[in-house]
Amino acid sequence: MTPLVYFQLLSAALFVIGLYGVMARRSAVLIIMSIELMLNAVNINLIAAASHLEGIGGFVNFDGQIIAIFVITIAAAELGLAIAIILRMHRNRGTVDVDEMNLMKW
Amino acid sequence: MEWAWLIPVFSFAAVPLIILFGKYLPGKGSPLAILAIAGGFALFCFVFIGWLGASPDTEGCSTSDYTGTLTCEYERTWFQAGLPGLSSDVDERIHLNWGILIDPLTLVMLGLITFVALMVQVYSLGYMHGDSRFSWYYAFHALFIAAMLTLALADNFLLLYVAWELVGLCSYLLIGFWFERPAAREAAKKAFIVTRIGDVGLLIGILLIWREVGSFSMTAAFEAVHSGVISQGMATVVALLLFAGAAGKSAQFPLHVWLPDAMEGPTPVSALIHAATMVAAGVYLVARVYPIFEASGDALMVVAVIGLITSLGAATIALVSTDLKRILAFSTISHLGLMMLSLGAFGYTAAIFHLLAHGFSKALLFLGAGSVMHSTDELDIRKMGGLRKVMPLTALLFSIGALSLGGIPILAGFWSKDEILVAVNDHLPPVFIVLTLLTAFLSALYMARAMFAVFFGELRPEHEHVHDAPPTMAITMFLLGILALGFGLISLDWPGPYDGIGTFLFFEEPEAFHFTVWLGVLSTVLAVIAFVLGYLIYARKTISIESIRGRLSWPVSLAENKYYIDELYQFVIDRVVLTLAAFIGFFDRAVVNDVAVNGPANLVRHLGVTLRLHVTGHVYSYALAMTLGAIVLALVWWMQSAS
Repeated sequence: MTPLVYFQLLSAALFVIGLYGVMARRSAVLIIMSIELMLNAVNINLIAAASHLEGIGGFVNFDGQIIAIFVITIAAAELGLAIAIILRMHRNRGTVDVDEMNLMKW
Repeated sequence: MEWAWLIPVFSFAAVPLIILFGKYLPGKGSPLAILAIAGGFALFCFVFIGWLGASPDTEGCSTSDYTGTLTCEYERTWFQAGLPGLSSDVDERIHLNWGILIDPLTLVMLGLITFVALMVQVYSLGYMHGDSRFSWYYAFHALFIAAMLTLALADNFLLLYVAWELVGLCSYLLIGFWFERPAAREAAKKAFIVTRIGDVGLLIGILLIWREVGSFSMTAAFEAVHSGVISQGMATVVALLLFAGAAGKSAQFPLHVWLPDAMEGPTPVSALIHAATMVAAGVYLVARVYPIFEASGDALMVVAVIGLITSLGAATIALVSTDLKRILAFSTISHLGLMMLSLGAFGYTAAIFHLLAHGFSKALLFLGAGSVMHSTDELDIRKMGGLRKVMPLTALLFSIGALSLGGIPILAGFWSKDEILVAVNDHLPPVFIVLTLLTAFLSALYMARAMFAVFFGELRPEHEHVHDAPPTMAITMFLLGILALGFGLISLDWPGPYDGIGTFLFFEEPEAFHFTVWLGVLSTVLAVIAFVLGYLIYARKTISIESIRGRLSWPVSLAENKYYIDELYQFVIDRVVLTLAAFIGFFDRAVVNDVAVNGPANLVRHLGVTLRLHVTGHVYSYALAMTLGAIVLALVWWMQSAS
């Protein structure tokens, strides 16, 4: 059985890559993709933790999986919304660069 | 008699009518004002007859426990304030009444006001003829008369105070009537502010009475003083505060400075307001609340001393003034001081009698001065002389007024001044009677000076073709002249039912006219000497003015500068009041405005300016903030669960 810490390291690496993407990218599409990375990092963490909860081997608790499925569902809905917003942005401003989106700054 | 409240209502009603429709009415609305006051005078006659026929059994009338005279009071609720009390049997609302009080004091004041006002208004037809604000003049006049009559009729302090301030307002408006002249504007402001200083005292006194008695009614206040609800010390405080108001209105030292300047107004105004009626309101007030003064005792002494200082000081200034109207103004101050002195010496009847005699005489003198001014456009007595040759009627009537005030026997002023002398002699230390006699002598001397310098001696060439007063002015002066001549005779105990003014107008005890022979003779001799001296100095010029001036240079210059009281006030205002005001203004700007008001506003604005900087518009900065926030929350949770 693979120790839990490997899963957690993978999850942390994915999360940090996603976080870097959110902060460093300027294209809204790439930011959304980075967010998806972070969400999936969380999913891995949840499922791995759930499978290691009670001893080694078979699942006794499905909480992690259930939450992961919720996360996937909500991520899908959120993505639809985000893509719609990005499309409107592109239509109105001709760009998806988030640095250009500063109309409401003081 | 219960219809006496209509007396001022006529004039009140005339005011808006004249203001609104004056332009379209015949005579620019002046007949309306004259009709209103004539109606007031007629109604006064009816009220007077009604009062004579009244007895303590008449409705609303009783013999007052406090003044001893037949007093009729009619009042209605003016308004109520506050909510009814929680329990139904106690009414906690404040009831304010307004009503009229008719006793001999009210009656004589009503008679004086309505008669002199009628005379002055008719006189003004001629005097103010062709003035650009003729309607306004009559409107203000009517308003003044209405307020003054209300003041005389009021049976409670609140109504009295309202009327008191209204006459002050009218005085301000009429002094500044020719507001194109800077001097008139300044004089109006000065009069208003100086009298206001006294009015503050009056208001505090009235509020103190309210606090002690819970009512503005004069009768209730007298009752409280009588029964000891108001202690003697409190009565002194109240009396002195009321006297402050009276001193302001009646131009008593040290608040006398406004009256000479008030002569900037039209002369008929000076005659009515600043000689006969409004300035007498202070004397009236003291007489009206005499039970409070009597209960105090000390307050009466203050009244007497202030009255004496005022009358003596003003008499000396009148002696050296060169402006005819100012001589009369200082003479007014001096005689008002005599009335106060008399009140302070328990000479209630004498004071009010002198108020009447002086009112008629001084109104006559002012109208005479107005007539001179109307014809010659001159007020400086040094530039006048011999006018009796061209204005014989004015000269005759002015002389009657002057002789009356100077205290020549048979004329009105003699009898009233003699009564005052008797009262002062009976009730005050000897020094008072000496100084009062000196004042009486000076009073005769300055009246002689005005009369002889203006109407006797050489006629100036530029005055050779002036005309005597027009008919409206002549008739009114003539009627006042009759009163100045014969009014004093009502003080005497005539055969028949009439026993002299002392049995009609008195405080507590009716008194017969008392004539102390040595005082009467002495004052007559003094007056005659003064008039002879005046004749020699100012008409014949046998005694040179320059030689007197040379010998008395120091006192003369002191009096000519009015004892530097105006300068002293100016100094105090410049150095103390304005410094204090500058400091308070600085405090207001620096502390109240900049710190207390603008401070919080500035703080919020700076906070906003600083805090809005975090809204950069960069997505990564928001993401960073979220991440850091999440890390901080995680750390907090971890540390909490670790402990």
